[in-house]
Amino acid sequence: MFERIDPRSSTPLYAQIAARLRVAIAAGELRPGGSLPSVRQLAAQLRINPATVVQAYRELEAEGLVATRQGAGTSVLDVSAERRATERTTEARRLVRDLLAEAGRLGLSAKELRAALDSELNGRKD
Amino acid sequence: MSERPTVWRAILESQWKWTRGLALLGALVGFALPLLSLRTALATQSTASFIATMQAWGVGYAIAAAALGLMTAIAAWGYDHRLRHVYALSLPLARWRYVLLRFCAGLVMLALPVVAVFIASEIVAHSSMVPKVLQAYPVALTLRFGFATLVAYSLFFAISSATGRTAGYILGGIALIIVAQVVISSANLQVDLVSRSIDLVFAAPGLLAVFGGRWTLIDV
Amino acid sequence: MTLAIETQSLGYAPGRGFQISNLNMKVPVGSLYGFLGPNGAGKTTTMRLLLGLLPAARGSITVLGEAMPAAHVQVMSRTGYVPERPHIYPTLTVDEALRFHSAFHPRWDQPWAEELRTQFNLVPDRRVGALSKGETGKLMMLLALAQKPDLLMLDEPTDGLDPVVRRDVLEALLSYVSVHQATVVISSHLVHELERICDWIAVMDRGSLVAELPMRQFKDGIKRLSVADAPATLAATPFTILARRPDNGSGEQWLVRGWSSDMQSYFGAPGATLRKIGDLDLEDGFVELLRSFREAK
Repeated sequence: MFERIDPRSSTPLYAQIAARLRVAIAAGELRPGGSLPSVRQLAAQLRINPATVVQAYRELEAEGLVATRQGAGTSVLDVSAERRATERTTEARRLVRDLLAEAGRLGLSAKELRAALDSELNGRKD
Repeated sequence: MSERPTVWRAILESQWKWTRGLALLGALVGFALPLLSLRTALATQSTASFIATMQAWGVGYAIAAAALGLMTAIAAWGYDHRLRHVYALSLPLARWRYVLLRFCAGLVMLALPVVAVFIASEIVAHSSMVPKVLQAYPVALTLRFGFATLVAYSLFFAISSATGRTAGYILGGIALIIVAQVVISSANLQVDLVSRSIDLVFAAPGLLAVFGGRWTLIDV
Repeated sequence: MTLAIETQSLGYAPGRGFQISNLNMKVPVGSLYGFLGPNGAGKTTTMRLLLGLLPAARGSITVLGEAMPAAHVQVMSRTGYVPERPHIYPTLTVDEALRFHSAFHPRWDQPWAEELRTQFNLVPDRRVGALSKGETGKLMMLLALAQKPDLLMLDEPTDGLDPVVRRDVLEALLSYVSVHQATVVISSHLVHELERICDWIAVMDRGSLVAELPMRQFKDGIKRLSVADAPATLAATPFTILARRPDNGSGEQWLVRGWSSDMQSYFGAPGATLRKIGDLDLEDGFVELLRSFREAK
């Protein structure tokens, strides 16, 4: 699930992890009641600072997506369909924002971008 | 899965691993010396030569004591030296405690040869083949051997537990005396530095006096 | 900020190599403190001084709240040390080494030591001297972790080890730190590894601490600026310029550290114009930092 985590990115690691988990919860990949890997497990598996994992989990907890209980780890909360839809929209817009920023850096116009998006989507046909 | 050993046990076990060969060899030699000395002495014709032979074998004890002391002291510090004492210094134990425990562990190793000497000399003492006019001194010999081993061990232990520099100074001092003697002799002066130094160090009432003198198991 | 380690005006002059003078180091409790620097900079010497293996010439050292080297015994019973070169008796077997080490550490966790030994694939009756480099590295980490320390001093624990072993060692370390809130000081040349796990970074060069700050701040502050119309001599900059290089085409590329976004105002006045701000890989940033330090001297 976390293969794309990149310590060299300008986005802090905890934010990358939280974002990935947010999408997973929104898409139903992580079901309500299911548990997230323990801090110990995830830190060791990704070979990152445990404090980073803790920060990511805390952020999700503040957003009402997960709950941490002493000794029981962190579990996914039941999220309403609307909430899930909102998260999906937020993530999609986040992706688009990054894309637009990168396109801006390269000097691509909105028209060129839209044309590319159409051709790619037609190619995928879903 | 055994319980955590005590610090003493751990040091003793590691010491045994490094010194057991030496301790067993020393025990073998210590056991052999009295028996061999008796055997060769019995081959002589007169009581006088019997005693002389026993005395001649005495040198063996002195050499064995010195060698065992030296080698056990080296074995005590060998690995620490090679590792530059990093491990020992990083352990949560006061340095003097560590040194003391290593010293005592070495003493335990040296007990084996001493006990072996005792057993063998007791056997000799109770042998019916010893000329009736002579006396056996197994306890005295064992004590002397034990003491000599202790002194040699302590001396070499002290030298090797010092830093390389101090040990170097001591050995350098000895070398200096020898060189000085060579120079003096070649100048044809009648001064004997080496004997003088040896006398100072070995003659009674010094500790090293135990190495000099007579090492006889059986005597008048 | 409670400190696990603090030095004040620490000084030491080794027989050869760089002198350490006026070293003021602060390691926060519970941090994963990365210690970077070129070979011979004095990282190993500093670690040895902190652990009381070398006598300081000047200054004070406080580790886990106690003065070193006076409180050496108390501090070392709570500290796990993995030195640069293996320091365990080579003729002991793996099991004997574990047994020996356990005797000195009251908090030794035997079940976990066994678990790690199996996990690390260490054969119990193999002599330590006969172990491969990777196995030795794993054993030393095992010994340091199984004593359940409050502080871990790791001197290049994974340098020179193959990627699989590095992973095993780091996993065990991070697993421990997740549960026990220990402070870890880790020196390494593997900048990318430190980047993942450290939340504090210190850079040492030629006996002096060049930088010591949270990793996030360090990374955020290192930037590659595309600058146009820059004069040859510049007025004082709020950021530190590590290097100025001609850019492909026009203008220059400035490699800077200590940048924050409000510093864009420096380019407001006529003169140099800021065209682009780019991020810099930590390893590249670290290299530039050291290069600039060399050129300054």
